[in-house]
Parts: sequence; structure tokens; C-alpha cells
Amino acid sequence: MGHDDLKEMLDSNKDSLKLEAMKRIVAMIARGKNASDLFPAVVKNVACKNIEVKKLVYVYLVRYAEEQQDLALLSISTFQRGLKDPNQLIRASALRVLSSIRVTIIVPIMMLAIKEAASDMSPYVRKTAAHAIPKLYSLDPEQKDQLIEVIEKLLADKTTLVAGSVVMAFEEVCPERIDLIHKNYRKLCNLLIDVEEWGQVVIINMLTRYARTQFLNPNINEGGEKAFYGSDDEDDDDEEKKAEAAALAKRKPYVMDPDHRLLLRNTKPLLQSRNAAVVMAVAQLYFHLAPKAEVGVIAKALVRLMRSHSEVQYVVLQNVATMTIKRRGMFEPYLKSFYIRSTDPTQIKILKLEVLTNLANETNISTILREFQTYIKSMDKDFVAATIQAIGRCATNIGEVRDTCLNGLVQLLSNRDELVVAESVVVIKKLLQMQPEQHSDIIKHMAKLTDNIQVPMARASILWLIGEYCEHVPKIAPDVLRKMAKSFTNEEDIVKLQILNLAAKLYLTNSKQTKLLTQYVLNLAKYDQNYDIRDRARFIRQLIVPTDKSGALSKYAKKLFLALKPAPVLESPFKDRDHFQLGSLSHLLNAKAGGYQELPDWPESAPDPSVRNVEVKDSVRAGGTVTLRGRAPGGQACGVFLSSDQSSGEEQKRNRKVVKERRSGSESESEEESESESSESESESEEESESDTDIKKKKKTIAPSSSVRMYELLHRITGEGLAVEYCFSRQPFSPDPHMVAVQIQFTNNTSSETKSLHIEDPKLQSGMRIKEFPEIGQDFLLPAGESVNVVMGIDFCDSTQAANFQLCTHTRKFFVSIQPPVGELMVPAFLTENEFKKEQGQLMGMNEISEKLNLGEKCQSDHAIVERVTAKANLSRVPCGSEKENRFAGKTVSSGSLVLVTVARKEGGGAQLTVNCEKMVIGTMLVKDILQALTQ
Amino acid sequence: MWFQIKIKSSLCPVYPGDHLIYKDYRGEADKDAVSIFYEMVTALSGDQPPVVMSHKDLNFIHVRQGGLYWVASTKTDASPFTIIEFLNRLAALTKDYCGSLCEKSVRMNFALIYELLDEMVDYGYIQTTSTDILKNFIQTEAVTSKPFSLFDLSNVGLFGAETQQSKVAPSAAATRPIMSHRSEQGGKNEIFVDVVERISVVIGSNGVLMKADVEGEIRVKCYLPTCSEMRIGLNEEFSIGKSQLRGYGMAVRVDECSFHQAVKLDEFDTYRILKVCPSQGEQTLMQYQLSDELPCAPPFRLFPTVEKDYGNRLLIFLKLRCDLPPKSTALNVSVTVPVPKSSLSLSQELSSPDQTADLQLKNKAILWSIPRFPGGAQLSALFKVEVPGLSSASLLEVGPVSMSFELPKHTCTGLQIRFLRLSPTHPGLSQRWVRYVTHSDSYTIRI
Repeated sequence: MGHDDLKEMLDSNKDSLKLEAMKRIVAMIARGKNASDLFPAVVKNVACKNIEVKKLVYVYLVRYAEEQQDLALLSISTFQRGLKDPNQLIRASALRVLSSIRVTIIVPIMMLAIKEAASDMSPYVRKTAAHAIPKLYSLDPEQKDQLIEVIEKLLADKTTLVAGSVVMAFEEVCPERIDLIHKNYRKLCNLLIDVEEWGQVVIINMLTRYARTQFLNPNINEGGEKAFYGSDDEDDDDEEKKAEAAALAKRKPYVMDPDHRLLLRNTKPLLQSRNAAVVMAVAQLYFHLAPKAEVGVIAKALVRLMRSHSEVQYVVLQNVATMTIKRRGMFEPYLKSFYIRSTDPTQIKILKLEVLTNLANETNISTILREFQTYIKSMDKDFVAATIQAIGRCATNIGEVRDTCLNGLVQLLSNRDELVVAESVVVIKKLLQMQPEQHSDIIKHMAKLTDNIQVPMARASILWLIGEYCEHVPKIAPDVLRKMAKSFTNEEDIVKLQILNLAAKLYLTNSKQTKLLTQYVLNLAKYDQNYDIRDRARFIRQLIVPTDKSGALSKYAKKLFLALKPAPVLESPFKDRDHFQLGSLSHLLNAKAGGYQELPDWPESAPDPSVRNVEVKDSVRAGGTVTLRGRAPGGQACGVFLSSDQSSGEEQKRNRKVVKERRSGSESESEEESESESSESESESEEESESDTDIKKKKKTIAPSSSVRMYELLHRITGEGLAVEYCFSRQPFSPDPHMVAVQIQFTNNTSSETKSLHIEDPKLQSGMRIKEFPEIGQDFLLPAGESVNVVMGIDFCDSTQAANFQLCTHTRKFFVSIQPPVGELMVPAFLTENEFKKEQGQLMGMNEISEKLNLGEKCQSDHAIVERVTAKANLSRVPCGSEKENRFAGKTVSSGSLVLVTVARKEGGGAQLTVNCEKMVIGTMLVKDILQALTQ
Repeated sequence: MWFQIKIKSSLCPVYPGDHLIYKDYRGEADKDAVSIFYEMVTALSGDQPPVVMSHKDLNFIHVRQGGLYWVASTKTDASPFTIIEFLNRLAALTKDYCGSLCEKSVRMNFALIYELLDEMVDYGYIQTTSTDILKNFIQTEAVTSKPFSLFDLSNVGLFGAETQQSKVAPSAAATRPIMSHRSEQGGKNEIFVDVVERISVVIGSNGVLMKADVEGEIRVKCYLPTCSEMRIGLNEEFSIGKSQLRGYGMAVRVDECSFHQAVKLDEFDTYRILKVCPSQGEQTLMQYQLSDELPCAPPFRLFPTVEKDYGNRLLIFLKLRCDLPPKSTALNVSVTVPVPKSSLSLSQELSSPDQTADLQLKNKAILWSIPRFPGGAQLSALFKVEVPGLSSASLLEVGPVSMSFELPKHTCTGLQIRFLRLSPTHPGLSQRWVRYVTHSDSYTIRI
């Protein structure tokens, strides 16, 4: 296998040759050709500067590293270097390739890399870390505990980019650790709509399982509804109803957990997704979790999917077939959508038939049967056979149409197509078993068919029918036996067995006419080639022909042969399929696939819902709480981060308890410090992404507390002892993303309590909106000397106009106003360098404002610039190749317009500031603010 | 979700039976997974193998596109929807990147597709399927062959009468790869907007329209490297749902309508304008459905007579009328008439020499093909079928007739694109093409 030419090219100095060689090698791999002998030549190029070559080398390494472990280890140090690269894309791809090298020796290196990447400032790298977790897990399951820690950390991440990936890792590594989800449940529900589509599928499926363990069955008290939708099993239904009625008496009225509602509400819009997988995931969530009355919404979405590729149709129909058994009502309005088209592939046709059959009821059966009639003319024989069976099932399920169906089927007996006739015979046999006495003429008609029909199954069915109901056709039956005796030796085995059967039955009922015939048939069978038939003949002879030695069974022969047989139940093959989670592969195969997670049953009583509570201020930096509390309780600047102990009840108390425990547990200051630090970095992972690595090292110096400025809303003198301050916490305001979160701190400096704090009479510019903090309530007291924090949301409509309103206590009203600095009207946006350039390219001309400036003495370093700019405006830093430049990006809160800021340093302390923003007013004001900050 | 998809094998066509591209993401697949799949597919009869097949603990899921099998295999319980959706996206992306989707283009672009696969999926996890994101990572360039194609001329009308060469986009123009950043010459700024409708109709034996269904979509294929906002104006009298009627008479109505998530609809309610910044490649901007009633007569009506001739001969006389407006023309019309099982031979009388008809013994049906069928015209055909043992019951075996056709420059709902504007106007030459076509999905006429 000499690839000497390729080796030569790889060894050359020219990147273009190397690139060409790598392309050819990758094409070889893609075709499945072995290129492993090139490994040494390729691995040398892993450190190549050319990014195109480098990428293709990565592709190669992932494919062959496992086979060439020793050589692969040579490349490890390159990746370790790559993990520290300033470019996030390189960090991410280094981690990706490193974790794909399946060599056990490097497990510790991988572990370390994953841990580091999990707290990387770039969400893209954190996402890659999440992807690497299951890879490491499959390489070395021993690492599970450590990996769970990383998962736990990443689950707390607030960026949508990471959410989908970490849930995938969770599902693969520790799906049983449902407790890790509690704290993140609400966040996941709220983020869901913004997660990328493949992540949505994973999260929805996981939340389905979560909800099944944490909430109560919403249909528990709705016994009556079942009858409305119609269930096929009436006995079952009755029992169920009784049980439900009993349960109803015992149970309190069902109230849905608000978290359960949250999940249903936040997933519903995703039914509009253009990704079929997302739509199906939501549909199965509703099917498994929603109250019956609400499940209907998914029908329309699923019917819409049926207009997609035939493969998608196939899978949708499988699921619809299962759903129609349980919830027939919801698909009834869409009956026509399941009509069969002549262009459908056979498997789709058969599934549609199944659905139509499940949907049939007294009102629509005539339409459905008319439709079925045209299907019988189809050229597709498998499909015609399935249609006939479907007619049979409709006839058994709906008593009213049984005779109509039977007549229709009998007409088919004169069809020229033998397969059609045979299938009809088989179905008629099943139907007749239900009411044989009324249909002796049909049996007669069928007896005549034995002359023509050759399909063994049909012949056997006819013979069985005549034998079974020989008393209804006493004259014809012996004649049929006579004909059959003549052709016995030429028949198929199943037909022979039925001839024996017929003979035995006739012998027992009408031995005068058939005794000799039976003897003859039994003799023929005695010498048959098939031993089953010989056996059967011997057995029948012993049983029915009386001899001296005949056993005790002989007198029961008639009872044995002519016992009343229960009519067969024609039921859907999709019955009971729903014990597999819909939309899963196991459901499709109707068998457990590897790694299938059972959908748990609803719990009897709801587990504690408070586990999902998250401290409100947790999202505003929980870490700060502990540290600051230790130092200066109620300190002015730091007070912002005090959690509002009184504002939201229970969880706060718990939180306080934790703090107390920590205190009592460890006396030493330093330990407490370190603990708080670790929790700080966790909760801040998102915040960090806006700063740079070098800043991260000096995190202490720009601790968030110092960067947030407090503004006065009400001085304690004008407020007669009540002091109110506010700040812009820069946290997303979760009830409404278009609002700026304003954190307000009330301090009661009087000697008496203050009651019922609330907002009244807001005077706003048109378009502006206020979401006030929940009124703290009549019972609430702000005791003397204490302070409390609340968060309110204001939509400033991207303007710096003030929001005016009245602040009321139980005794007084104060006119106050909040005016936002322009930098607080935006939220960070995470862009790559390329995206930044692209967006900037579109915001030229009027939308670009540029200013030259001289940097202030203390602002000469990158670090200082970043610090000043981010303090002034809520922007995130964009990675940048050039050392002279710093770039920042954000979006305005209200309209989501991009705000791009570039600070390019020049020789001698000069700099150029450029702001690109669609909103020119904001751009101008921002330039002014930043200019001021940088020149001081 | 139990999301260990291993899109392991994306292998291909069954004709030669070899695989084109294969990628194993987890090192779990047996080396012969490809041949197992091939054996399973070839062992099956019938028109389409089941979408999901399993062999021991290995599950195969496949889709068929462009005459190729796109197969993923997994050992664990992954969501089949995710896999199918992913395979469809993969096929769409391949089409975007390679220009067209066929065995040849896949063969020429192994490295590119392999690279795509590498970026899209990591260890069985889908990372991204967005063209815009992937563009940043893909290094390999697409290879295309641009042989002279007769298809380029397919839009040219007879005698050149209707042709306005300048206004007809050659069909090959829309089948080139989106990535041509390094080779400047191919980078024409073009944008294609296609309105594609599929009609399915059932007409009863008495000529009454029993069921009609139109599914349509507006597709955009964009070659502009950075596209600013595009505004697509639909008919002003376009209405959704039954209650909402706009203007007088001639309303263009659909029952249901859904849009791509990138479409901005703020001007849709009042002006019927879709605003979108299309990314490179192909996207479906809008999908709509109309069921139960058509705004105009169904495009074809059939007047059949079936009778027994003397002897064992069956006479089928078909009169077919095209109810399109006289300016429109239907292309590639084919009519399939099922005949009794025992039919032996056929003799026919057709009204013009370019039509053909033959008896397909395998399907027991007559296939009548009409390459061009102008609107308002009426064609007739007489078929004499030799059926041994002909009985009156045999007459019932004739029908239902199914048709397939293509209606260029025609939409059944009447949806039109009023204008297509790029704002601000793109620097340099940008060409905009709007095309309409209606395909038959299933057109059945009962006899």
C-alpha cells in the first residue's frame, strides 16, 4: 500500500501540497479505504499553522487514533496547547479531538481538560465540554462520580447553547440522578424555546420522564371523560370507572402543580417547529403528561407532519395509530387526512388503514366503509388484503354495521381475484363465529366455493366453518366431505387437517351418512407423509370410533369436538403499544431497544414541590451572599446582594439555615472564604463569558459588587426614615425578557414598622411598561432598622426616558422616577469574531459612529479598557484576533437591536472608538458615555 | 432522550450495492454493517423497505433521497424522528453544498461530505445543521460537473414563440453549490423563488369532485453571499381560513399556512408581504394547504365508456379534457387505466402521433402518455383489450384511473408573487427568478 506520493506531499514545506494531500486522504477515508499506514506522516502535521490542514488532520486523527495508540500520544501535547489558545474555536476543537481519541492512558488528561473547559468563559467551549463527558464515560465508566460533578455544574449554566448538550450528557451518564434536575427545572422550561432544535428534543424527552416522577396524574379524577372518547374495552372501562369513582371519593380535588403547568405551557409553541423531531417530542409529552382535555392540540401538528417525507409519515403514523386507540376523539376531525392516496407506499397505506379502523365509530363508519370499497380495487394486493381485514375489524367493533360488512364481504367472494376471495373467506369465518345461526345461507354459498378457491388458508377456513356449523347445513356438509375425500391426497397440509376435523365432526353428528367416508379419510391420513397428519388421524380414530378398549374420553368426544368456541377478538396490533414512550425507537420496534429508559408511572402522592424552588437572588449571584454576610451585614454598597430574606418565604429560610450550618460547622474564616469562592465561580460562569481570561485571574479586583452602581430613589430624609436605592442588576428579567431588571432596596431607618409597600399610578411615555414587584403584602412588616430587596421590571422602549411612579407605604406616597443610563438598556450578546464582522458590515453609514480619543492614564491596558467599558454598558466581549482591538457586543433589551462597540488602541495612548447600532440615539449616547469612561 | 444516535453509515445506492460514504462515530458498528443493510434491503420485495429495520441489536433507519439510501444505525434507543429528520437535513445540506443530489455529485465530493458529517455530528450527537454555522468550518470546496445539458432547453417553447430567453432561468443555474467563495467566477448573485404545489384529487364516477387537496410551498434558493432583507409580496387578496375573505370575488384562499421561523410577518397581515433575510442555500419559507375545495375546476376531466365488444374484447373509450386556461400547458401527462387481470393484448387508436399507449402486463394496466397537453384541448383514445373469458364482472375491474402530470407556470390556488425586492438594493448584479409549478400528487378518477 505505498502512498509514497502522499507522504512526500505531507513532508513538503508547502501548505498547499499538504492540504491537497490531506484532502485526498480524507476522501479515501470517506470511501472506506484504509489509510492507517499514513498515520506517522499525518500526525507530524498536527502542529501545522495552516488552519485548513490542521482541521483535516484532526478529522484523520479521530478516525485512526484508536488503532495507532502510541503514535496518537505524540499529538497529545499539541492539543494541550490548543486548549489554552485564545481563540475559542481552537480551544473547542482541541477538546473535541482530544476527547475523541479513545486511548485509556489519557483519561486523566481528558478529565482535567473537561473540568477546565466546563468553566471556560466561552459558552461554545462549555458546550464542547458537555459533549466530551459521555465520550470519557464510555471510555472509562470509573470516572462517573467526577463526571457527575461536572454535569451538575454545567446544568447550572444559563446559556441556551450549553443546555441541550449537558442534558444529553446527563441522559447518557446518570439518567437516574433525577435530583440534579430539580434546581434547574424551571430554568430549563424557560430556556427551552431558545435552545437549538436538537437540544430541544433531548430536553423535552428528559422533562417528560422527570414530570412523570414529580407530578400527579392530571387525569386521575376524570373518570367520566373516558366514555366520551370511547374505549374499546367496555368491561375494563366499567371496572376502571368503579375504581376511579372510589378514588374520587377519597382524593382531594386535583390541582395541577404550577411547575407541571409551566412545562405544558412552554412546550406548546414548539408544536409549530419545522423540525419533525421537536414536534413529535412535544406531542409525546402532551400525550403522556397533559390532562385529557388538552391533548387534542397535538393532533393538528401531527397531521401537519403527515405532509412531510414518506419516512416521516411512516413514523408519525405509527405513533398516531397508538394514540388513536387511547384517545380516538382527538383525531376524528382529521379523518380525511388519513385517506389513502394511490401514490402512497404500501407500508404507509397499511398504517393509514390501521388508523382509519381505529377511528371508526357509529357516526363515521359509513363514510369509512365507502372509502374502503374503493381501496379494494387497488392493484396492490397486500393492501387489498389489509383492507379486507380492516373491514372485518370494523364489523366486530361496531355491531350496527356487522351485517352490512358481511354482505359486502360476501360480494367479494365473487371477485375474480383469488387473493381477494381468500382473504374475504378468512375474515368472514371470523365474523360468522359471532352469530352463526343467522347466516346459514352464507355458509352454503361458501361451501360452493370449495370447487374454485385454491388458496389453502381459504379452503381450510371454509372446511372449518362447515364442520363447526354442520348442523346448520345438514345436507351440504356430507357432500363437501365426499368431494374432499376425493381430492385429499392433493391438498396442502392445513387443508388435510381441516378435512380430518370435518370428518370427525360429521361422524359425531351424522354418523349414518358419513361413517364410511370418515373411515376412508382416516385411512388415507394414516399413510400420509406428514407425521402431524398421521398423528391427528390416529388420535381422532381412537377418540370417535367406539371399540372395546376405547378409553374414558370417548364419551366426551362430542363435547371435545363441538364445544362452543369463543369468537376471536380482532384487535389492533397497536393495542398496548403505549407502554413504550411514544416517539421512541422501542415504540417503533415494539421491543425494548438497548438503553431505553422506562417511562415511570405517576407517583401516588406528589413529592415535595419545594425542591424546585430556587432562591430568587440566587440568580443575582448567590455566592456574594455568603461572603458579604460575613463581613458587613447591611453594608451600603454590598447590600444589593443581600438576599431578601423576607421577600419569598420558605426557600429563604432554608438558605439561611444553610448559612448557619456552615458557620457552626467551620470556625475558620479561610474555609468559609474558599467555599464561597467556589460557589461564586459557579454561579458566575455566564458572567465570565463577557470578560477575558486575564480578567478572570484578577476577578477579585472587579468583583461584581464594585462594578454595580447604586442610585438613590428616595432619600431617607424625604422618605421620613424610609430610604430607597436602586441598581441595575444586569440579570435577565425572567417574567418578560423585554424588560430591564431594576433591583430596589428598601431600608427602614425609622423606629416603627413600614407596611404594604407598593407602586401606584405609573406615568410612562407611550410604549413603556412596568412590571412591579409583587406587593409585599399587608402582613409584611419592614421592621425598624432592617432592609429588603425586590426586583421590578421596566420596559424603557430603548430610550433613556425616565419612568415615573408613586411609591406607597401604608401611610405615605412618594413621587419617584427611575432614569436608566444608556448602558443599562442592553444585554450581552455572544457573537463569534466572524459574526461580529458580518453584523458590523451591515451597520455602516448612518449607523456607525466613530470618535478618536486619548486614553486616560489608568486605561492603557486591555484589561482596564474591558473593565471600564463593561462597567459602563452591559456588553459582552467578543473574541478578537488582533491585539490592538477590543470588541464588545450587546442587544437592546426592548427591540433586540445589535449594539457593537470596537475600541482600537493606537500608538501613544490614542484610540479609536466605534459604535455600530441601528438605533442612532442609543449609539450617540453610548459613545459619549464610553468616551467619558475611557478618558478619565 | 436516549440520544446515542450513531449516524454511522451514511452509505448509498443500492444499484451497484456498494457504499459511497461511511462514517462510524462510536466505534461500535460491525465492519459488515453496510453489507447487512444491503442484504436486508435486497431481500425484501415490495416498493419500499421499512424505514426501521433491526438485525440482532443493531437498528437501521434510513431515508431515500436523490436515489440514494441515507442510512443511520444505532444500538440504543434513539428518537427515530431525530434520526430521520437529521438524515433529511443531511441530504438537504449535501444538496446545498454540492449543488445537486445524485450519486455522481456525492462521488465527486467525498471529502466535502465527510467533513460536513464530521462537523455536524460529534460522537453521535448532532451539533448543528445550520448552513450558516457550518460554512465557517468547512474547508473543502465542492466539485461540480457542468456538462451541456439538454434540460437547459426544456423551458424553451416550440418554435420559440413563447420564449423570452432572457426571462427563463436555465434549470442548471439552480443546481450549483452555495459555496463558491474561492472561485470568483461562479459567484453570481442569484436568488430563486419557487412556488411549488402538489395537487391530489379524487373524482367520483359521476364526475363529482369528491376530494381535493392542494399542498404548496414557497421555496427560496439563495446564492447571495450576504443577503439583506428580502420582501416577497403575495397576492393582496390572499386569505387564510374560511371566515376571512378579503376584497371582492377572486380571493386566493388557503386553509392553513405555516412559515419558516426566520420569516418576519409584521407586514403580512395588512400588505401580504413576507420579509426574510435568507441565508445561503435552500429554505422553505412558507407552506400552505387547501383542502376540500378548489378555486377553479380540477385541471383534467375524464369521460370514460367501458363496454363489452363481441368475443372476448373489451372496449375502453376515454375522452380527456384539460380545463386549464388556454395559455397554460400540462406536460408529461400519463394516464394509468387498470384492466382485468387476464388481459392479454391491446390495440389502440390515439389522436396524435406523439402520444403513446401500452399495456403493462406486470401491473395489468394501460399506460397512456401525452407529452404536451394544451389548456382547453380535448383528447380521446380508444383501447381494445383482448381478455379471455370476459364476463360482465370483468367490467368492474376496469378503473380507477390515475393520472400524473406537471403544470408549469400554474398554481392551483392562484397564489402569485406580486413582487420580490431586495432592500437595500444589493450592490452588483443580482438576478431574481420566480418560478411556479404544480405537480400531481395523486389524481384519481373513479369509473
